[in-house]
Amino acid sequence: MESIIQDNVDPIDLKNYEALYNEQSRRGHVNEKTQFDYALCLVRSRYIRDMEKGIALLEDLLRNTKDEMSKRDYLFYIAVGFVRLKEYGRAIEYTEAICKIEPGNRQAKQLESYAKGKMNTDGLIGMAIVGGAVLAVGGIIGATVAAFKKKPKK
Amino acid sequence: MEEQEIITTLKILIIGESGVGKSSLLLRFTEDTFDPEQAATIGVDFKVKTLTVEGNKTKLAIWDTAGQERFRTLTPSYYRGAQGVILVYDVSSKQSFNKLDAWLNELETFSTKHDMVKMLVGNKIDRANHEVTKDEGLKFARKHHMLFIEASAKTNDGVQCAFEELVEKIIQTPGLWETSSKNLTLSNHGPEGQGQSCYCVL
Repeated sequence: MESIIQDNVDPIDLKNYEALYNEQSRRGHVNEKTQFDYALCLVRSRYIRDMEKGIALLEDLLRNTKDEMSKRDYLFYIAVGFVRLKEYGRAIEYTEAICKIEPGNRQAKQLESYAKGKMNTDGLIGMAIVGGAVLAVGGIIGATVAAFKKKPKK
Repeated sequence: MEEQEIITTLKILIIGESGVGKSSLLLRFTEDTFDPEQAATIGVDFKVKTLTVEGNKTKLAIWDTAGQERFRTLTPSYYRGAQGVILVYDVSSKQSFNKLDAWLNELETFSTKHDMVKMLVGNKIDRANHEVTKDEGLKFARKHHMLFIEASAKTNDGVQCAFEELVEKIIQTPGLWETSSKNLTLSNHGPEGQGQSCYCVL
C-alpha cells in the first residue's frame, strides 16, 4: 500500500490533463472522464493544494453519479488523497463507505489498515512529543525547585 | 537455509482486458489464494515478492493494473521502467484475445524499456468452454516475440511458472537490469534444464 500512496504523478501528465480540463471548462462543459483523469493526477501531486483540489473534484463526481462502480472508484481515490494529506480519520470514513458498496473489497481494506496503522504511529509520536515536553517542563521545574532549595543553604 | 543476497529488484507489470484474471494470477502467485468473487481492481494494485530463479534471488515489484476503460489514462504511467510484462487473456473469451494487439500497442507507446520481456498468459484453462485454442495463443506469442503459457489462477496451473520464466528471461537479458551484487549465476542451458512442469515457449 505504501507504494500506491507514495506514488507521485508525472508533472507532464498533470500538466496535460490540466490543460484538457481547463479547455473543457472554458467551453462550459467538463465531461466526467476528463474530470476523473485530472483528479487522479491531482491527488497524486506533491502539492497539498493540488491534493485538496483533486479531492474536491472527486467529491463533485461522487455527488453526481448513480453508478455504484464509479462511486467505489471515486471513494477510493478520495481516501488515497486524505491519506496523502495525513488526514487518516477522514480517509477511513471513505474506505468504510467502499465496503458498504462492495463488502470485503481487498484494496479498500488494505488502505484502511494502512491508514489506521499510520494514525496509531502518528498518535504515538504525538504522545511522545507531548510526553517529552512534560518531561522537559518537569525537568525545568525540578531544576528550579532544586536551585531554590539550594539557595537558602548557602 | 543460508541467507541469500537479493541481486536486483525487477518491475513487473500485469495488463490485459477487464475480468481476464490479472489480480487473481497475482494473488495466487504472491499469497497462494483465490477468490472467485474477486472485485475489479481500482486503478492499480501493488505487491512485492522475492523469487529465486536459477540461484539468483530477485525481488519483484509487481504492478497489477485495472483493465477497465475508465483507468486507461492512469495505468500507462505505471508502464515506465518495467522490465517485464505479463499480458493476460481469458481462454474462454475470444474478445479478450482479440484485444491483445491493442494492449501491445499501448505497451509500445508507453514503456520506456523496449527490450522488456513479455509473457503472454492464457488464463482460466480450468473452464470447459474454450474460445481460444492453445495453438492460437502460441502463434500470437511467436509472432510478437513473447513467452507463452496457459494457466489457471483457480487451480494454480502454470502460475508460478509464468513468473519464473519471465524473471529468468529478464536475468538473461543484458542491459535490462542492474545489480549491485557479485553473486549472479548465469546459466546457458535452455528450457530442457528446467523443471518439467514448465512448458513456456518463445
